Amino acid sequence: MEHDRFENWLRNIYNTQDEEISCTECLDLVSSFVDLEISGQDTIAKMPKLKQHLGQCHACRDEYKSLRDLRRLEEQGGMPSLDDLQKLIR
Amino acid sequence: MTKKRTNEEWSHDLNTSGEVQEAAIADLRDLLLRAVLFFFSRNLGDFERLGRDEILQLADDCAQDALIAVMNHLSEFRGDSKFTTWAYKFAINIALMTARRERWRGKSLEQLSFYNNSTRFEWIRQNGSSGLIPDRSVVQDEIRDIIQQVIEHELTDKQRQVLMMMIFNDVPIDVVVQQLGTNRNAVYKLLHDARRKLKSSLQARGFEVSELLALFSEPG
Repeated sequence: MEHDRFENWLRNIYNTQDEEISCTECLDLVSSFVDLEISGQDTIAKMPKLKQHLGQCHACRDEYKSLRDLRRLEEQGGMPSLDDLQKLIR
Repeated sequence: MTKKRTNEEWSHDLNTSGEVQEAAIADLRDLLLRAVLFFFSRNLGDFERLGRDEILQLADDCAQDALIAVMNHLSEFRGDSKFTTWAYKFAINIALMTARRERWRGKSLEQLSFYNNSTRFEWIRQNGSSGLIPDRSVVQDEIRDIIQQVIEHELTDKQRQVLMMMIFNDVPIDVVVQQLGTNRNAVYKLLHDARRKLKSSLQARGFEVSELLALFSEPG
């Protein structure tokens, strides 16, 4: 195991809680979490269990980041058109 | 052009019937397909074995699956986010799962799920032998031994298998789910229980996280 991954793994071991929310619960809450973040609110204070899950679950974290990026794009003036997106697929 | 709707308008239009519902479903499908393509366009490396038409078809399939998921969960929408954010999460979830599985398609996981204590902690051994801090390598060895003991003797076979695949070999959770024929929550729980055992054993021996991170930080 590489050094950075080992260090992250140690952090994750120590950030382990007795009770953690599941990936299904995370998916249920993540849209609210992203909109809170987009509107500048304190997501850690409002949704600590979701934040903790995102720290532990690589897949849920990737999904959260993609959803956040998509919403930011919308906030900045909208998503590209279907035609433009299809052109990006080579 | 997709019609802009408020949360209430989305709920109303999708829950009604006739032309209003058809128009709302067409608009929603367009948004979901754009969300999938947005993600695919940023992760084309995952689809290197596919041609352009196959990727576009896969995106279309993902959008259709996401549309079905949104319609099936419509009654659960509480209005605590924008409707489109809520709907996008289904598209993103399905698109990422598809991409992860496509990236790992055809790769053998058999060797990646077995624990081999002679190679797994190579980095710790190398770092421990640097000798820059006299007692450091001794403590590092102790920590390595605790972790190895827990992995070898305290984890169940399933916990060990999931740990090897996901933590030591970076196999995505959706691929592990496929391999084990289970679901994502069950795999997350296996990993969670493994982390709890490791944390408990390290703390029982008096190690705290700040101490461990300092101990394993790279010299210089």
